[in-house]
Amino acid sequence: MDNFITRRESIKKLLRLSTGLALSSCAAVNFQTPRPAVADDAESAFIVDAKGQTSGYDIKTLTRSAFEAAGGMHRFIAKGDVVAIKPNISWARAPELAATTHPEVLKAVIELCQEAGAKTINIVDHTIHGARRCFAVTGAGSVAKETGANLIFPRSSLMRDMRLQGQRLDIWPVFTPVVEADKLINLPVAKVHGLSELTLGMKNWIGAVGGRRYALHQDIHQTIVDLAQFFKPTITLIDATRVMVKNGPSGGSLSDVTVMNRLILSNDPVAADARAAGLFGYSPNDIGFIRLARKWQIGLYDTDISQQHEVLI
Amino acid sequence: MKPKHLIWLRRTSQAVFLCLFLFLLIESRLPQDIVIDYTSAMGNGGDIRIEHPVTFFFQLDPLIWLTSLISDRIWIQGFGWAVAVLVATLLLGRVFCGFICPFGTLHHMVGYLKSSLKGKRLFQANRATPSQKIKYALLTSILVSSLLGLNIAGWMDPISFVFRSIALAVIPGLGNGLTDFFGMLARSDIKFFNLMSYSEVLVWPVFGFEFKSYQTGWAIGILFLVVLFLNRIRPRFWCRTLCPLGALLGVFSTFSRLRLRKDAAKCTQCKKCVMACQGAAEPMAGHAWRPAECLSCFNCFDTCPEGAIEFTFQRTGEKIKRPDMGRRAVLGGLAAGVSLPILGNLDGHVHKVSRPALIRPPGAVPEDAFLGRCQRCGLCMKACPTNAINPAWTEAGLAGFWTPTLTMTHGYCEHTCTLCGSVCPTDAIQALSLREKIQTPVRIGSAHFDRGRCLPWSGNGPCIVCEEHCPTSPKAIYLFEDWVEGPGGERRKVKLPQVDLTQCTGCGICENKCPVRGKPAIRVISAGETRSRRNQIML
Repeated sequence: MDNFITRRESIKKLLRLSTGLALSSCAAVNFQTPRPAVADDAESAFIVDAKGQTSGYDIKTLTRSAFEAAGGMHRFIAKGDVVAIKPNISWARAPELAATTHPEVLKAVIELCQEAGAKTINIVDHTIHGARRCFAVTGAGSVAKETGANLIFPRSSLMRDMRLQGQRLDIWPVFTPVVEADKLINLPVAKVHGLSELTLGMKNWIGAVGGRRYALHQDIHQTIVDLAQFFKPTITLIDATRVMVKNGPSGGSLSDVTVMNRLILSNDPVAADARAAGLFGYSPNDIGFIRLARKWQIGLYDTDISQQHEVLI
Repeated sequence: MKPKHLIWLRRTSQAVFLCLFLFLLIESRLPQDIVIDYTSAMGNGGDIRIEHPVTFFFQLDPLIWLTSLISDRIWIQGFGWAVAVLVATLLLGRVFCGFICPFGTLHHMVGYLKSSLKGKRLFQANRATPSQKIKYALLTSILVSSLLGLNIAGWMDPISFVFRSIALAVIPGLGNGLTDFFGMLARSDIKFFNLMSYSEVLVWPVFGFEFKSYQTGWAIGILFLVVLFLNRIRPRFWCRTLCPLGALLGVFSTFSRLRLRKDAAKCTQCKKCVMACQGAAEPMAGHAWRPAECLSCFNCFDTCPEGAIEFTFQRTGEKIKRPDMGRRAVLGGLAAGVSLPILGNLDGHVHKVSRPALIRPPGAVPEDAFLGRCQRCGLCMKACPTNAINPAWTEAGLAGFWTPTLTMTHGYCEHTCTLCGSVCPTDAIQALSLREKIQTPVRIGSAHFDRGRCLPWSGNGPCIVCEEHCPTSPKAIYLFEDWVEGPGGERRKVKLPQVDLTQCTGCGICENKCPVRGKPAIRVISAGETRSRRNQIML
């Protein structure tokens, strides 16, 4: 009976073991720094405005032709890339209510990435409503299942404090899968918002952070710009196939929705937002965060870009 | 059947039912892997339901069925199982206690695996004691109280007790600890620990990713531990002394056809049967057997080395002891049963005042009927995906202790969710379809602003978070632009939020998301709830 380990001894042993492990793994310390931005300059900037004109057009075809006009997905995604796609699936609303990115758009983009050779595709969004319900109701869950993309469940262990180095936001918890990727694709939906007037591409990054994010509204335009200078997407594709024109950003009724059949694709986040603002009858200068974003040189207005493409199907 | 086989049959049955109970308990939540075909999902995605029969154990419980039946005089669908259990008890005795009850199995396990008593002390502990009358007193008070319209069965009913304890204390307690632990690993600067944090996926199917919180969860947990600890004083202390369902089944089992036959000639007074007895039912020859106390574990049958004990369907002619209820115990129970509903009503929230903090789940029946039906089992609280439904502490008064109430600082009522009503075993919360909930609309309360705390109203800057989150269309929170005076006396133009009471359903997402922490600047009270005719604001 003497060779039994007592509780105390076993705890001691465990402690010794784990300390050893901890010390030995110190050798493998790897300080992760957020991946440098995929910035673009004025010459390489482009904007594609895709319009579905024929009745019964296919959202998938529209998405594909938009990327073809931009030179194909392989221009942005290399073989073996880990791609993070940030749709707006924050509200548990069915696709036709226009509160979230259309699943067909999401699916088409994932398929294009896969064709371009992406190794892993993560769908990332820190949702407002319960994540599980959002995944189901917005159709993102079904898209992930069909395409094999990973739907990352937002959780506290994936939020980590990072230095945003913005004007208003310095250290803020970030949803790490958004930055732990080779390429980042922003896939917002265009809709109205009570305070920032519009929810477009740059505002979509509020769904990429954690913490007290509802306090951001106290200086909404500056904080959106702070986030936009931190999260630098390879491309932004704004879903305006149907847009919410009132009761935004949550909506809830078909009477809040207008069908527009538009997709706006750009590698300049400001240009994409500026063009999408036009869909609602705004000039980019009317929208605080677009104006500020140009001032802080995050991008250009759509009218300043030389490579303009239009796709009609 | 040989005694050994019977014992193993019992153990298997206990294991199967305990596992089934735990499985159904864990599955009492928003399904983990719901995929809706988005091309067919219209409007708000339709009704998401739990596919498993999570109310099964409640429907097996005759005490739940009886108390709801006599307190609210309604016949609730699905309680055929409870009737079957009563019939089985009439034929075979308390087989529910010995073979099925998951709480009984837990006690059995604790007493068996970690027994503190041996020899003479165990023999003494397993003799019948007068304290076993207590359960009849509790049963009397529960039944009398139900007759007067207050259903307090849930405080002591074993199925409700064990469900509440595990769902609101054990699982969230362990889950929060694990979530914390994995968060710690993930935040570590050491790569190895970072990678380890991904093993979170191994535990989330049971515990989920979120931090859960239930008010009074600590009390529920402590009570659970205390009741388990009592097994060290006497094996299956709860079942023998406290369980009101055991008392009810005990009364029925007096008429059981299955009887214990003792062969006094064979008995050597070795006391092994008493040592193994789970219910203190006096199986030894020379004492009158107590069928009402017998938990049908068949241990005595199995242990007797002389074969002096057997169970038979024939008339034995032996003297048995009727349930020893005791006049005092019954009178005490009667007094408690009469006074509890009366005292519970004294705070007036059934007849006179409606408590603003008592926000019942959507679909809840009016308060008097609610108190007659609610089993305080915690199923709605476990199922609520946002953690809004909590056991009431003081919100519902004495009579409503541990009944469900929504705490908007913990969660909020998801506009497109109808889960709580779909799982309520006694229809205290009625099942709603999503269409009914949104189009009626079913209101649970109404929101109001605290302008002194609200950022735009108090001149502290812009914020429209409540308006942004308001789920109704048109929104119940609307904005208008006006000038307010800022801290330095300067005039600022801000959007000021107001509540449109004709639209507000009281879902509480505004209160939950309000950036003004501590005490949110917009709060929900129960006024305007659909279920009450009195507790209204608008004409």
